[in-house]
Amino acid sequence: MREYDAIIIGSGAAGGIVACVLAEAGKHVLLVERGPSLSFADVGRDHLRNQRLAIYGHNAGPELRGNPRVFVDPEGRSRIVKPHELDYHNNAACVGGGTRVYGAQAWRFHPDDFRMATKYGVPGGSSLADWPITYETLEPFYERAEWELGAAGDGSPINHEIPRRRNYPLPPVPPSPQTEALLRGAGRLGWITSPVPLLINTQPYQNRAACVQCKYCVGFACPTDAKNGTQNTVIPRALATGNCELQTGAVVISIDLDGRGAVNGVTYFASTNSDTQQIQARAKVVIVSGGAIESARLLLNSTSKYHPHGLGNEHDQVGRNLQGHLYPRAYGLADTRVFNGVGPGVTIATTQFNHDNPGIVGGGMLADDFIKPPIDFWYDSLPPDLPRWGLANKQFMRDNFTRVMHVRGPVQDIPNPDGRVTVDKTVRDKWGIPVARLSGTTHPATVDAAEFMRERGEEWLCASGCEKVWSTQPGLILSGRQHQAGTCRMGKDPRMSVTNEWGRVHGHDNLFVVDGSLHVTNGGFNPVLTIMALAFRSAEYIARAF
Amino acid sequence: MNLETLRAVVDCLIPRDAFPGAYETGVCDYLVTLLATDLKNEAEFFSTGLDAIEGEAHARFGKSFVNLLSDQQTGVLESIENGDLRTNWPVSPQRFFDMLVRTTAEGFYSDPQQGGNRGSVSWVMTGFEDPNS
Repeated sequence: MREYDAIIIGSGAAGGIVACVLAEAGKHVLLVERGPSLSFADVGRDHLRNQRLAIYGHNAGPELRGNPRVFVDPEGRSRIVKPHELDYHNNAACVGGGTRVYGAQAWRFHPDDFRMATKYGVPGGSSLADWPITYETLEPFYERAEWELGAAGDGSPINHEIPRRRNYPLPPVPPSPQTEALLRGAGRLGWITSPVPLLINTQPYQNRAACVQCKYCVGFACPTDAKNGTQNTVIPRALATGNCELQTGAVVISIDLDGRGAVNGVTYFASTNSDTQQIQARAKVVIVSGGAIESARLLLNSTSKYHPHGLGNEHDQVGRNLQGHLYPRAYGLADTRVFNGVGPGVTIATTQFNHDNPGIVGGGMLADDFIKPPIDFWYDSLPPDLPRWGLANKQFMRDNFTRVMHVRGPVQDIPNPDGRVTVDKTVRDKWGIPVARLSGTTHPATVDAAEFMRERGEEWLCASGCEKVWSTQPGLILSGRQHQAGTCRMGKDPRMSVTNEWGRVHGHDNLFVVDGSLHVTNGGFNPVLTIMALAFRSAEYIARAF
Repeated sequence: MNLETLRAVVDCLIPRDAFPGAYETGVCDYLVTLLATDLKNEAEFFSTGLDAIEGEAHARFGKSFVNLLSDQQTGVLESIENGDLRTNWPVSPQRFFDMLVRTTAEGFYSDPQQGGNRGSVSWVMTGFEDPNS
């Protein structure tokens, strides 16, 4: 029997940080990851099979075969989906999790994001709630994530909204012609803007090189390792202590209990090229960090006579409130070239509309976009009145790829308890484990906010001198995907939440969830820095308690 | 699969101008590979759709698609896209045409390792890549 102080399931944004903090505190840690460690070459540069555009496959796992989910559409029809399909709501399965291939936007949530129910009231049919902690409680841990992983930006223009004690360790990415145009437009509208914070080394940092401004941030790996995920920051630190064992290719079957119903470890399949073994590992504390869908699935699959509905699920809360972000997208045709081929491409944002919009619950951040490969642009960005083929289409691509300005942003999701993860009764993965079943949608109030933000995107582009503007907005859909969150939310009332403010599962002394699942609400921002900040906070608590 | 028809069809979807058209940059190679790998379950569907284009050309002009004038070819494809058909299609014309347009664009605009976009010609055309750098 293998014995540890702590077992952490999942090596993504949160799990990597928990492993680092516990290992550096002298704890003997097992970090379990279902995927492999992926090199730069493993991730590759396939324009049709990457995490951003996954037409025929993707590049950060899980494998297309043997890892199905079931998706239930808004009309109630269910179907089996593969990992690269949109309705799978994939994040990634590799060391570093989504941070291996993310764009690395490093936003803090707004202080009002932590008190949504108090600020707006609870819309009918929504499960909107306040967080059990405030922005001020999390602020030092945001700072820690920014400095220990390495974030570039300038928080001073929005310090009145999202206050910080200390600025970013690295300067922001340089402006592009698009930045200058959007800055002029925002000036005409009276909007405040700021650089987009990114977990990218704009200068050498922590013995790794600076960004070389290639065009392949989101969906790909970084050629100079200047993009900071957990795989190249905190996980190497954890391993360097000698206290952390990283087990890749390990799929956890269940969280195990002792004879009295208390958590005492996990059982997992460990695969090598030649064989698969079923292994039991024991620990004083188990931390589930598999992302909002897989963490919920594991708790729901861990049934026993003590917990017939799964762990932490006495009140039918595990898996509910699945949220992510709707992304309204606006495009404008500038009269000059705005593309200069300098990556990452995302440079300027406004947080003017994250809150206090008349008649709207919440709102969101708007920013320009990462550079799009031409096939991504062809799929995503063409005006709706353009023919889809023929000379007109080709000539638009020729003349305007470098002239189209892009504005988009994540809209605060108003949680719907019916947007949820359950486990399917019949479909199993290649290990024989029941798969996640995804159903429901976000709340209609989210769509109202997305429509409002779509209009703001068009307004910004018009004010920035675009002669033609067009936009899209996704409508009432389930919104998990790479920003998936909310399925084991923290709270004070065990009937309405799954964990306490530290991520400790209600009714358990030594079982924690630490990842985006904890988010009571998911902000109108990319959520990864909040996942990281919560991980630092919970990990310090766990290190003290065990 | 009727490769002659395919060549003429992809060049109608992405024609030559100052920059090469789809065939010249390898889009047919891209499609043949794709239909033998990721889309192998769609290969027969795709081939049947191409034959149906050929059938439409004969029904309208009494000629093979490859022997039509450029405007006539464009007209045949526009009719198919708009559902204005002269023949009975054994496959869904909408689904086939959508797949045809998407996969042709993929071959032309994605990375050259896939078989199309030889010499990164579409990346230079769009300005995604600076040929001088």
